[in-house]
Amino acid sequence: MGNKQTVFAHEQLEAYQDCTFFTRKEIMRLFYRYQDLAPQLVPLDYTSCPDVKVPYELIGSMPELKDNPFRQRIAQVFSEDGDGHMTLDNFLDMFSVMSEMAPRDLKAYYAFKIYDFNNDGYICAWDLEQTVTKLTRGELSTEEVSLVCEKVLDEADGDHDGRLSLEDFQNMILRAPDFLSTFHIRI
Amino acid sequence: LWRKFVRLACNFMVIFIPWEMRIKKIESHFGSGVASYFIFLRWLFGINIVLTIMTGAFIVIPELIAGQPFGSTASKTIPKEHVVSAQDLDTVWSLGGYLQYSVLFYGYYGRERRIGRAGYRLPLAYFLVGMAVFAYSFIILLKKMAKNSHNSLASVPNENYTFCWRVFCAWDYLIGNPEAAESKTAAIVNSIREAILEEQEKKKSKNLVVTICLRVVANILVLLSLAGSIYLIYFVVDRSQKLEQSKKELTLWEKNEVSVVVSLVTMLAPSAFDLIAALEMYHPRTTLRFQLARVLVLYLGNLYSLIIALLDKVNSMSTEEAATKNNTSHWIDSTIFATRTAPEEEKWSTPGPGTGLPRNSTWAPEETSIPAYTLSEANKTTVYTQRPQDQCWETYVGQEMLKLSIIDMLFTVASILLIDFFRGLFVRYLSDYWCWDLESKFPEYGEFKIAENVLHLVYNQGMIWMGAFFSPCLPAFNVLKLIGLMYLRSWAVLTCNVPHQQVFRASRSNNFYLAMLLFMLFLCMLPTIFAIVRYKPSLNCGPFSGQEKMYDIVSETIEKDFPAWFGSMVGYVSSPVVILPAVLLLFMLIYYLQSIARSLKLSNQQLRMQIQNARSEDKKKVAQMVEARIQTQEESSMRLPKDSDLGSRLSSAHSVVPQSNGTVVNLDSSSSKRGRGETAAQRTPPSPQSGLGSPSAPLPGTSKCRPEQHINRCLRGRSASAGDRHQDRSCSPGMRTKHAEVVRSEPLFRRDFQQIDPPLRGPGLSAVVPRGPRSCAPRYYIINERDSRQKIHPTFWPERHFRMDALGDMVMCPRTTRQGVSWAPQQGHSPQLSEEEEDAPRRELVQWSLHPQSLRGLQGAPHFYAGDRSESQTLVPEHQGRMHFKSWDDSFEAPLDRPAYGHKKPRSRNFQSAQHPPKLRGKPKVEPSLTESDSMSAASSSDQQNGSNDQYPQVTPSQAKFRRSAGQLGRRKPISRQELVADLNDLICSNV
Repeated sequence: MGNKQTVFAHEQLEAYQDCTFFTRKEIMRLFYRYQDLAPQLVPLDYTSCPDVKVPYELIGSMPELKDNPFRQRIAQVFSEDGDGHMTLDNFLDMFSVMSEMAPRDLKAYYAFKIYDFNNDGYICAWDLEQTVTKLTRGELSTEEVSLVCEKVLDEADGDHDGRLSLEDFQNMILRAPDFLSTFHIRI
Repeated sequence: LWRKFVRLACNFMVIFIPWEMRIKKIESHFGSGVASYFIFLRWLFGINIVLTIMTGAFIVIPELIAGQPFGSTASKTIPKEHVVSAQDLDTVWSLGGYLQYSVLFYGYYGRERRIGRAGYRLPLAYFLVGMAVFAYSFIILLKKMAKNSHNSLASVPNENYTFCWRVFCAWDYLIGNPEAAESKTAAIVNSIREAILEEQEKKKSKNLVVTICLRVVANILVLLSLAGSIYLIYFVVDRSQKLEQSKKELTLWEKNEVSVVVSLVTMLAPSAFDLIAALEMYHPRTTLRFQLARVLVLYLGNLYSLIIALLDKVNSMSTEEAATKNNTSHWIDSTIFATRTAPEEEKWSTPGPGTGLPRNSTWAPEETSIPAYTLSEANKTTVYTQRPQDQCWETYVGQEMLKLSIIDMLFTVASILLIDFFRGLFVRYLSDYWCWDLESKFPEYGEFKIAENVLHLVYNQGMIWMGAFFSPCLPAFNVLKLIGLMYLRSWAVLTCNVPHQQVFRASRSNNFYLAMLLFMLFLCMLPTIFAIVRYKPSLNCGPFSGQEKMYDIVSETIEKDFPAWFGSMVGYVSSPVVILPAVLLLFMLIYYLQSIARSLKLSNQQLRMQIQNARSEDKKKVAQMVEARIQTQEESSMRLPKDSDLGSRLSSAHSVVPQSNGTVVNLDSSSSKRGRGETAAQRTPPSPQSGLGSPSAPLPGTSKCRPEQHINRCLRGRSASAGDRHQDRSCSPGMRTKHAEVVRSEPLFRRDFQQIDPPLRGPGLSAVVPRGPRSCAPRYYIINERDSRQKIHPTFWPERHFRMDALGDMVMCPRTTRQGVSWAPQQGHSPQLSEEEEDAPRRELVQWSLHPQSLRGLQGAPHFYAGDRSESQTLVPEHQGRMHFKSWDDSFEAPLDRPAYGHKKPRSRNFQSAQHPPKLRGKPKVEPSLTESDSMSAASSSDQQNGSNDQYPQVTPSQAKFRRSAGQLGRRKPISRQELVADLNDLICSNV
């Protein structure tokens, strides 16, 4: 118990609790997970807010992310500068968004960012191709992939500009029956 | 912690679901269709286990424990001359010998009313269990079907976003296990393929005549093959009977040919049907259905022809029996035994067969058993000695059924091994040394044929149901068979089958299989029931020997073992007095429930429609938002060229200007050809203006342009709020509460409008003023949208509304100021025209303000832009969302049933019609004001020119529309049209 007190200042913990959907206990647990990833990098004392980043290679090797085809995108989206290296804040943020308590709007927003591979604010055909190939591990032929992309655009593209904007995406994904249950990482 | 515990419990539970992992694995590799087969198999397995427990616990075990031991009675003893051959493989194979006299078959069970010390009523139990098997099957089937249909109702397939969901919601982010990830990937690939296939099926174009012909041909072929197979089976059964009668010793083939032929037919015919189905070119799912139905008919035909043949045999047996009875009685008379009287016979017979057999009260069995016994003693002929056992037709039927089942199993195994496994091996290892590619050409790997396999299960289950009454151990045997099949099949599927090339979705809650099973159950029950009711139980064997009918056991029990009052009560209950009303009541109940179900279905459908509507409205709304945003972007981009145009106009001749502007229009606002054509056509009215004003155009124009745009921008927010206010007002009855979510519910509003408008338009001019603001509302709404779009954030809505609410009070201010502005320099005319330069919102505002104030002097210009305004709004949607809007003309011609955006048009028209009366009055004033302005100051006129030129990009295409709409309007109100044209002319004239 004493350990907890030393890792974070009280205010820090409060702030984390305000910013995430986690309880104090979960935050501590996440911190230890984070610390476990790179014990030599992450200090056990966070009261002074050290500027530490855990590289993507370590983040991506977490069992929760290891088999996810979009792990790189997830890490990139949640990291500050888009390179996948995460600070503790980013880390908490990621699991907070992925937690069960996060509202679906937020989830949809981040899902959009994850699927937007080239970060241009739209899911274009190329992004879709990336998504599909990653999802199927390249088992579909190119024609099939392009057909799927075409159909997806056809279905969800409300303004027919050949790409999905955030509104299109939200409109579509918020109706999906199992989006909430699948877009969710338990930790 | 609790959740964790629950999860653990769930995990634990999964272990106990048989074959769950196996099925999941298959599902991930082969898709839901194949998995549905295995799930079905597992479910059947469950049913059979219950049936086994029922028969085992209530019939077999009591008989084994408490019944007379083997060899104690005639019906439980193998005849002496058969003992020798009882162990032969041949005999065992045909289920003769010891097997025939075992608990496997009906004949073994004793006929004592009570057995053991507890007095277990075995015959009653036998009958009741036989019925309970059917009852249970029915109940469980119906229950399952109801559940499934409930499920399928709950998960209504939503075809709106199939692909999107399959792509974006496919990955389960919880997966943290490489194997699971692999399975998931396979499953996703499968599901995407399924979706692609569905899509392709939708697209497939068909040549109707050819398909119909092919289908007719295919159906004829199917019917022929069905008839052929039925005839074949009947022929075989017939032949085997004749053979049996003519020959004593039958070869192995002759004994088993019935079962073999039946199995062969059931194996080969489905493949033939499959080939035939390829002719028909249905959707794969329909093909599957057809295939299943045909195969089911085939199986049923087979089973029925078999059972009819068997019953025929039973019939002939009973006639033979009757004949022998006559014979024997005649013989009794003629021989020394005949001298004995009946009581003597009884005395003589009781020690014979009866070791511990209680005295039988019925006389008939005694009589036949005696001659039989004497015959066997006398051993006159083998035919006669065989008779007592052979006459046990129930055993015979049970034997046939079991035999069929066994041979079916063998054939299944053989076909799996041969067709799948060895073919797989052959293809796999010989493909390198073969002259063509074995893997992709002829033999290929076997595909898992869902239809045939499911049907095979159904058929199998049908046999079980049919034979269960005559052979209580059949369910138990079937359990074993199903277990074996499960392992063999899943192994074969995983090792040597390839996924079906055409993957398609067979939902897990597939009621079709169950419906078939139910059908099968019903049809299999019929012959059994028929046999039970129609035929007299055989005399020498089985629990019902000696009764006239099998169901007599029930009435007998009721009579003897229950108190008298119960018997009389049952008598009353079963009398027509009670039965008829009960049946009627049932009918009524069924009808009632049926009608309720129908109405529920209807309401369900309507609700679904509603959802669909709301959804499509939402979709449109999103599209609209985006369009509005794009429009603003275009406008701003248009402004730049405009300015540059103005700059260029400084030096260039004025005649060039409209053209260049026109090209800007064409490039920017609308690329539709018609728009361009009409631009050319409609440019004439304003061009005189420009021609006149242009000489003095340059300087003030450029100078004025910018600030006005600025004002314009500043004002937009306010006007938007004003618009919202209008909207609010127009919708105020009941809608005010919705204000916070106005935007969300906007489509509904609009629809309301649409519905409200037509009736209002009827009265025409009388309702002018109230209609004006209302018709404004939706347009304002778009402005709002645009406003919001400029700050691209979806979460902005509430804030904006908040702002608008806040500004709602201020609306009066801008309006009044605006009016002040527009009023004050009115005689100068230039500000009025400068208003033209401002884009939509302000113009709307002006119009609105014009209305109550009736600024007649201004009518000419704003009226102009009434059309413009609405059109420029609707134009971009048109070319952006052309999909929605393909029929621009149609939407004009038939405004009442126009699609998404069309609703704006009536409003604009409306608006114009609303504008008309004031204009009529205002017309005289327009002329003076314009002329006045023209003559008053060159600067002002230049302003005008400037303004009008500036407006071209937006106006010109829309003017065309305006003209059209005016024409439309004119059709309804010819007078106003004339007025309009006159007005236009006036305008031109005044300018000139």
